[in-house]
Amino acid sequence: MIQATKNYLTFLRRCARVACAGDWRYYAWMGALTVLSLLGLNAYCRQFAHGLITTGMSDEVSWGVYIANFTFLVGVAAAAVMMVIPVYIYDNEELHDLVIFGELLAVAAIIMCLLFVTVDLGRSDRFWHLIPGLGQFNFPASMLSWDVIVLNGYLLLNVHICGYLLYCRYQKKMPAKWFYVPFVFIAIVWAISIHTVTAFLYVGLGGRPFWNQAIIGPRFLASAFTAGPALIILAIQVVRRVTAIVPRGEAMPWEANAGATTTVRQRAATLVDLDVLVRYLPEFASVPKETRQTILPELKVLDAATGEVLLRQGETDKHTFFVLKGRVVVEREESGRHRITRSAGPGEQFGEVSSLAGTPRMATAIAEEATQVLRAPADSLRKLMKAPQLNKIIRARMAERLMITDRALMILRNIVQVAMTINVFLLVCEVFTEFYAGGLHIASSKYLYLGLEGHHALVPWIWAAIAFNLTAMVLLVLPLSRSLKWLNVTCVLCIVGIWIEKGMGLVIPGFIPSPLGEIVQYTPSLNETLVCFGIWAFGLLCYTVFLRMSVPILQGRLSKANEGQAEFGVGAAGQRPVL
Amino acid sequence: MPDGSHPPNPAPADSGVSRRSFLRTSAVVSAGLAALAASLKPLLEMNDVPTAERFMQKYYKELTLAEMAKVLQRIENEVEKQYGIRPHVRDLKPMDGVQFVYCLNLTRCIGCRKCVHACVAENNQSRNPEIQYIRVLKMPHGSLDIYKAEHAYNPQQVPEKGFFYMPVQCQQCENPPCVKVCPVHATWQETDGITVIDYDWCIGCRYCEAACPYWARRFNWTKPEIPKDRLNPEMAYLGNRPRRQGVMEKCHFCIQRTRAGRYPACLEVCPAGARKFGNLLDPESEVAYILKNKRVFIQLKEELGTSPRFFYYFDV
Repeated sequence: MIQATKNYLTFLRRCARVACAGDWRYYAWMGALTVLSLLGLNAYCRQFAHGLITTGMSDEVSWGVYIANFTFLVGVAAAAVMMVIPVYIYDNEELHDLVIFGELLAVAAIIMCLLFVTVDLGRSDRFWHLIPGLGQFNFPASMLSWDVIVLNGYLLLNVHICGYLLYCRYQKKMPAKWFYVPFVFIAIVWAISIHTVTAFLYVGLGGRPFWNQAIIGPRFLASAFTAGPALIILAIQVVRRVTAIVPRGEAMPWEANAGATTTVRQRAATLVDLDVLVRYLPEFASVPKETRQTILPELKVLDAATGEVLLRQGETDKHTFFVLKGRVVVEREESGRHRITRSAGPGEQFGEVSSLAGTPRMATAIAEEATQVLRAPADSLRKLMKAPQLNKIIRARMAERLMITDRALMILRNIVQVAMTINVFLLVCEVFTEFYAGGLHIASSKYLYLGLEGHHALVPWIWAAIAFNLTAMVLLVLPLSRSLKWLNVTCVLCIVGIWIEKGMGLVIPGFIPSPLGEIVQYTPSLNETLVCFGIWAFGLLCYTVFLRMSVPILQGRLSKANEGQAEFGVGAAGQRPVL
Repeated sequence: MPDGSHPPNPAPADSGVSRRSFLRTSAVVSAGLAALAASLKPLLEMNDVPTAERFMQKYYKELTLAEMAKVLQRIENEVEKQYGIRPHVRDLKPMDGVQFVYCLNLTRCIGCRKCVHACVAENNQSRNPEIQYIRVLKMPHGSLDIYKAEHAYNPQQVPEKGFFYMPVQCQQCENPPCVKVCPVHATWQETDGITVIDYDWCIGCRYCEAACPYWARRFNWTKPEIPKDRLNPEMAYLGNRPRRQGVMEKCHFCIQRTRAGRYPACLEVCPAGARKFGNLLDPESEVAYILKNKRVFIQLKEELGTSPRFFYYFDV
């Protein structure tokens, strides 16, 4: 137990060290976010001292940009996890590596949500009145009490799932299914519930006809499914870009004599080599003696010097490799950039996926230092994998790579495409119902879309949002958005459009005109805006740190096996500008 | 270490760097702390730092009689310290067999807003920023469309020809949406029908303000200001005691008066006799007579099912 705690603390310490190291771009980004967060904190302290009078809100418009951002971010958090549905229910391999990114985004979004609700409270010092058991919890009558439960529950669920999967990956241990799969399914249902509950927060108010419509719930889900994956498409491309190895002037150590495949020396494998493998891969011991004898003639031992290529992306050969000594880095080229997808040390395999499937190599493997590997043809690997323990570990490690393919982005694009179309359709339904029937209750909609009695602060915004959404929808339908450049433009349009439409466009008109027919407009104050920027910056800061910790773990570059070695980018200064 | 493949931890790189990196780290850390301190500085301007006693105060319904006595004492001390007047703060309970009801005669109301001023004075409402519980709407004859109402009317003389006036305040709904939505039970309905707020329990989320169809609730956007010489020292815990920054308040049918057998301040001041208040369960009461014999025309926004205890009627 003590040892386990110690190990876990070491893990956390190393993650923290990784998060503190980077090149100047990383420091500049983190520095800017820290400054913005502190400005936000400063603005919030002013608000805490003087009251919410520092905001633009009033008794007429009593919720503003805080709650608008909260509503938008609940959607992001929900959609980020609903994205895992294809992975767990339909076994979609392409999206598998995105699951962790989605869940980490959900964690960051929920942190922002909770901050936005907290800064909106007049008496945040009395937050403990909301804690069930300690305070007075109006459950189930108040939808806000539901929101407290679902948001915090969702945060815990996602922290557990991400934390557990990453820690297993770090230990190169297979995650115990019962310890996370049930939680994943709970999280999927929970994701729908957080957004539905948030919609019900508005829908349940009979005195506000603009909100009191059943369509708000479905619209929330549709817009969440648009903005969430759009945000992930952008985030993931940033991850791809910053994890790419961009040679700057001098070559990487392993690129010194790149392309020198021919110099790799090879010899026949002996039983001694297998014993070496058993030392690093104890599961290999479960392979029966007879099997070892039969396959031995098919095995070769290769010695490669730093920078020598062991297998090349695009080639077809059917070998699997086990590292006996040294370290191999596996990198993949896509859209003109190289990225490390995994890294294999003694006892670990690489090349097994295309070996078993007989498909072209998906990446290039290069010796990072003087390396010795055991090479086995696909048939021998199949024979080896009859040993159940070895089978299990090899299968587990097959998933241990960080492969963000363009195809995965295209699957996300499909989700955004369908969701945006539904979103626009639901908007049309709503606008029709409001305006065709007419009546007294459309005052809020009139204020939003057309302006009311000379007041039209929101009109340019909502039409901009509609223009963004429609343009995005058209782009998504066109094949044009299959190119990443156009896809990115489309995603930005989606995010901005949805932010306006369901943040400000939903919250503010609900209050205008007031229930007594008075029109008082709302503009966020400078202080309020600073608080918002601060929270967004803090959320991005959290997400950046999460990604920075998890990417090397997913790549296998930060693992229990290399504990005690200097952290890359920390000790080995400038050696590897990874990340 | 479970796997013996690596030599025991070599000291990272060379020790010559460590002093420099130590200096650099400590410079970064102290700069960070300084920036944090600077960010927190506005907290020094805090209007109203809660004491431990106030922070820990229990929920109204959980206070024992002795605890309540202590709380009332503390409030009296706090008010005396702030305003220089010793108030008389009571925790008045609802009486059995009482259902308070308000009736307002729209034929009689002249829109003079005397009720608004009386309410502000009686209930120790903030003068800066201004908080008022009653909003008088000026409506054109022949229409009940609330969107046609004028709020900021300011003529030389009232009433004006062609208009009638409709004062709106908390309707004390039988089925109050504000109570349903409050996440911490800080507002509830008492047995005499008055919906009250525990100002010391409200967290200021303003969900009730969004839920109220009558725009009856008000929020303390900053520390309320009441001139010392205008303070009404006759106070109730759930009524007119001074509120603090960041909490909700609203009309409570002058709980400090009505539960002690007096009329609400708005009724007493009305020069036109448009306001009637009383116990619906008492068949002799004015309100019982009105509801039985007059043409009671509305409960405001009746279609919402809130069932107000505030009735508007006409003389005809």
